[in-house]
Amino acid sequence: MSLLELDRVSFRYACGERFILEELSLQIEPGECHCISGPTGSGKSTLLKLIMGVLSRPFDGEMTRTGELTLGLVMQDPNVQFIRQSVGAEVAFALENLCVPPDLMRAKVSSALRKVGLFIRLDMPIEQLSLGQKYRVMIAAQLVFEPDILLLDEPWAQLDNSGVEELILVLSQLKRDGVAVLLVDHNPKAFSELVDVFYHMKGGSLAAGCLPAVTVEHLVAAPVLLDNCVVQAEPFEFRFIDQAPLFKSVEPLAIYGGEIIALIGDNGTGKSSFLKSLAGIQADIGKLPLTVLGKQAKLGVFGAEMGLLLQVPNRQLFEETVLEELQFSLKRFGLPLCRAEQLLSELELSHLAEHSPHKLSYGQQHMVALASLACLKPKVLLLDDPFAGLDAEYLNRVWSLLVNLSHGGSAILLTSHRQMVNLPVTRYWHIEAGLLRCEYDRSVTQTLQFG
Amino acid sequence: MKTRRGRGVPHSTLERNAETGSKSIGWTAGALSLALILSSSAFFIPQDYLLALIVCDIVLVIHGVCRRGDFWILGRVFLVQLVITLTLYYLIHGQELLLQGALAVVRVLLAFIPGWWLSVSCKPEQIGEVLAWILPVKWAFVIAASLSLLPTMTTEIREIYQTQSLRGAKISPKALRDPRNWSELLHCVIFPLLIQLLKLSKQTAMAAQLRYFGKHKRRTHWR
Repeated sequence: MSLLELDRVSFRYACGERFILEELSLQIEPGECHCISGPTGSGKSTLLKLIMGVLSRPFDGEMTRTGELTLGLVMQDPNVQFIRQSVGAEVAFALENLCVPPDLMRAKVSSALRKVGLFIRLDMPIEQLSLGQKYRVMIAAQLVFEPDILLLDEPWAQLDNSGVEELILVLSQLKRDGVAVLLVDHNPKAFSELVDVFYHMKGGSLAAGCLPAVTVEHLVAAPVLLDNCVVQAEPFEFRFIDQAPLFKSVEPLAIYGGEIIALIGDNGTGKSSFLKSLAGIQADIGKLPLTVLGKQAKLGVFGAEMGLLLQVPNRQLFEETVLEELQFSLKRFGLPLCRAEQLLSELELSHLAEHSPHKLSYGQQHMVALASLACLKPKVLLLDDPFAGLDAEYLNRVWSLLVNLSHGGSAILLTSHRQMVNLPVTRYWHIEAGLLRCEYDRSVTQTLQFG
Repeated sequence: MKTRRGRGVPHSTLERNAETGSKSIGWTAGALSLALILSSSAFFIPQDYLLALIVCDIVLVIHGVCRRGDFWILGRVFLVQLVITLTLYYLIHGQELLLQGALAVVRVLLAFIPGWWLSVSCKPEQIGEVLAWILPVKWAFVIAASLSLLPTMTTEIREIYQTQSLRGAKISPKALRDPRNWSELLHCVIFPLLIQLLKLSKQTAMAAQLRYFGKHKRRTHWR
């Protein structure tokens, strides 16, 4: 008998709205791994919540569970699921709620951590762990109550390549132990060695097979403006004060107008902090031998000439309409307000101009936050992991916007924890083994000549 | 990935852990009581004894800083509050009542210091455990979870402030000397922060619910 069976399940968030899940059927057996892909908003996370029983509205159809079925869910961002500050206390949280005697907890917690390959102190503060380690702590926090099915929401977007490899090893062992795994992800191919059945969301239901890998097509990088150097840096060590270097740059660095540079490195290598240093907002970093637009980086000195998009960009949205959100910086810097409407039109988002930015989908919010910077036409645009969680449609839209900006002369430095192929970038900077290594792809820009 | 064979936990280690856990709960209960007494004293204590309270709070600050607490966060709030209050006192009452205004701000700071010290010197889950002695379990959990979220919220507020500053918001310390810009701070920093807080609290509640929080009326506690 199946552990879990969904038979023609339909669900919608409100009466009168379209069904987000429609006539969906699914069967999960012990030790199986199922993977569901689909664009943002297609109902993947809703399906996980429905299975976990945390949706506030009833659904149509039937869900059958075997006996005392236990389920564990790791949500998209492990950082928002931590309830405690130390590893041991976090993993033990479910045991406390299940009234497990304190003397038995320590052994169970250690065993769960061993299953995910973590051999760390139980009083280790969670904030000191890498994102990959945090993800494994969150899995251990589920394994400690021995779930029959483990559900994971978009792990690929959160983890770097080594984090994904570690996760695959952990999940393979769980499968061998008879635990069923249900993954939802934009990039199912990353887990192909683990997955038994692939599905994709189609009209609220599940169709067999997975969607093709996300690619960026038909975009060509802008010519690089070699007479316009916007960032210059002498060799440096990047470190927090009184701490070991995160990485070293042994050769001089330069960024030119029109360039799109991708800074690639694993989680925790210092990419975000470096970007903030370029914007002049990173504390606890000593003075670096670099200038941005000919100035020492400091908050407020660049005005409209620099834009910075931090992770989770929807945090910066606050206006009542999308149009006002785009016009905010234009007003503050005394630039023409018509740029906001023009850009919305170019992005085919004019129909959202009077909508509240808070009611948009994740991808739309992402676009609005980026557009609010793009309409300034900054000379330097810094983007921290701008593609996290985006599906194929919005990924292509974001790239299209970036390429347009670079054609207008903007220099763009973006970070990512993995290198994607066939992107219209002019150069890659890699942070590996504590070294920042610059690379440049001659097939993309024939005009760029260094040294 | 490394693999290692499982090892049992010696009984003596378990006993030692349980003993250490009981001691730290005793310490947390004492610290919580002390913080409550000192915080409420800040408002009710007569002015003649204020100096004694200041000395007690200085001791807490020294201990908190030794435990790697960042007192400068509280210090900055105090300085901003001092400037605003003294300005308002000067405008409303003139020069004579400035000392009274300063004393009011000092009392507010003295009320905050014990809470800051408690959050630095005790684990949130243990504060929650002690609070559960006198409060319903869910309330105690909410207070403990809120304390756990303080570092995250500090990072959030800093990053939202920096992002909006870069977008041209008039919220630099210099701009905020003009009261006309205070609404900008509220509008583009506090409002998005509240939205983030709501999202975060909803996700934390779901994470707790999915790990059986509320299944039983009483809970056991990690030591």
